[in-house]
Amino acid sequence: MRKAMVLFACLFAGAVWASDPAGEHGYANESKDAEGEDVAGYILHHVADSNEYEFEVPLSHNHIPIHLPQILIPLSEGACTPVADPHGGGHGEVYPGLGAGCLDLSITKHTVMMWLAALLLIGSILIWSNRDKTKLVPRGAGANLFEMLVLFVRDELAIKNIGKEEGPRYVPYLLTAFFFILFMNLLGLFPWMATATGNIAVTCGLALCTFFVTQAAGIRAAGIGGYLKHLTGGVAPWLWPIMIPVEFLGLFTKPFALTIRLFANMLAGHIVIFFLLGLIFMLRNPAVALVSVPFAFGIYLLELFVAFVQAYVFTMLSALFIGMSVAMGHHHDEHHEGGASHDHGKAHHVG
Amino acid sequence: MADQEPRKQEDAPGSELGETARQMRAAEPYISAVWKLVGGAVVGVLGGYFLDRWLGTSPWLLLGLSLVGIGVGFYGFLHAMARLGKRK
Repeated sequence: MRKAMVLFACLFAGAVWASDPAGEHGYANESKDAEGEDVAGYILHHVADSNEYEFEVPLSHNHIPIHLPQILIPLSEGACTPVADPHGGGHGEVYPGLGAGCLDLSITKHTVMMWLAALLLIGSILIWSNRDKTKLVPRGAGANLFEMLVLFVRDELAIKNIGKEEGPRYVPYLLTAFFFILFMNLLGLFPWMATATGNIAVTCGLALCTFFVTQAAGIRAAGIGGYLKHLTGGVAPWLWPIMIPVEFLGLFTKPFALTIRLFANMLAGHIVIFFLLGLIFMLRNPAVALVSVPFAFGIYLLELFVAFVQAYVFTMLSALFIGMSVAMGHHHDEHHEGGASHDHGKAHHVG
Repeated sequence: MADQEPRKQEDAPGSELGETARQMRAAEPYISAVWKLVGGAVVGVLGGYFLDRWLGTSPWLLLGLSLVGIGVGFYGFLHAMARLGKRK
């Protein structure tokens, strides 16, 4: 039945489009390109970070812009004077970037979303973790949901990837990352909100946190000497000038993958939804809505799922990398304690 | 008895690990060996390119350092593989 309805909607939309008088086509084609660009521009503007928060009033064309504070710190004298926008076609001014010595610490739309996510997270955790301590079993949907997620992160992610002994030590970090990403992902699905995880700077920051925890875990497990020895790649000292940069660069491949994965997944879903809805305006036909709105709704539900999956994947991979780092350190210890007689080759490669 | 203590500790966390974690840990030395091969070339080429731009000696440092990088990458890769083979 549902399939039949979708098929009918497609056919109907097609028929209405086809019945467009031929005379109008020539007229429509001219402005269609402009309209198409407009839709793309609108989408990019909507998913990009900006200095103002636009509150769109429903059922009207009104936007209420809320200007967020701009904080510019000149690293050298007069570095933050605005220059003409090179892409603005003569009008509009932009501030020079960090390369020109201007450190931009402005509060942007995505920063506000991150704060909001953090506030909501702290609030909900405080409310639902504050239960009757005399009873062992938590009551209520919220408390049970959070307990389930927390236990999942501890038992399925931390202990399964890092190990029974070292795992619990990293549970606080993993829980923070999981819930923070989850809240940011979910926040982007509400009207008037933006997805902070669809910003590569945010995901890069999150991945850097994992990077530092991973390195700290490695140093903790192997000691500073063992960690530095691992960076030499186990080759002769005269090859170190090349091998140390190689190994050092290699440390960044994993957080780089984390950055791109979260960013691309969150951005792509939003762009797909916007383009499905934008089709209505690009094809200049209201009947397209019969197809594109249900499709956009489907993608929206998929996004809801992706919000959880991406938070899970980020946390799981963080735990996996921490676990690998810890294991490397332990192998190194083994080499030192167990003696070199039977185990030389094995210990050497990880050391 | 005291001898067996560390071995027991070593077995216990391993049995807790999930399938992915175990496979990734087993694959880790090979991944790092492959990175030596690729990373050698990457560091050589990038290092040469930027040194050239800085010192204005284009293209000699790019050519030289990329050859050195590829060579060191190959050496590191074969060295790691030889050690991994010896381990078995």
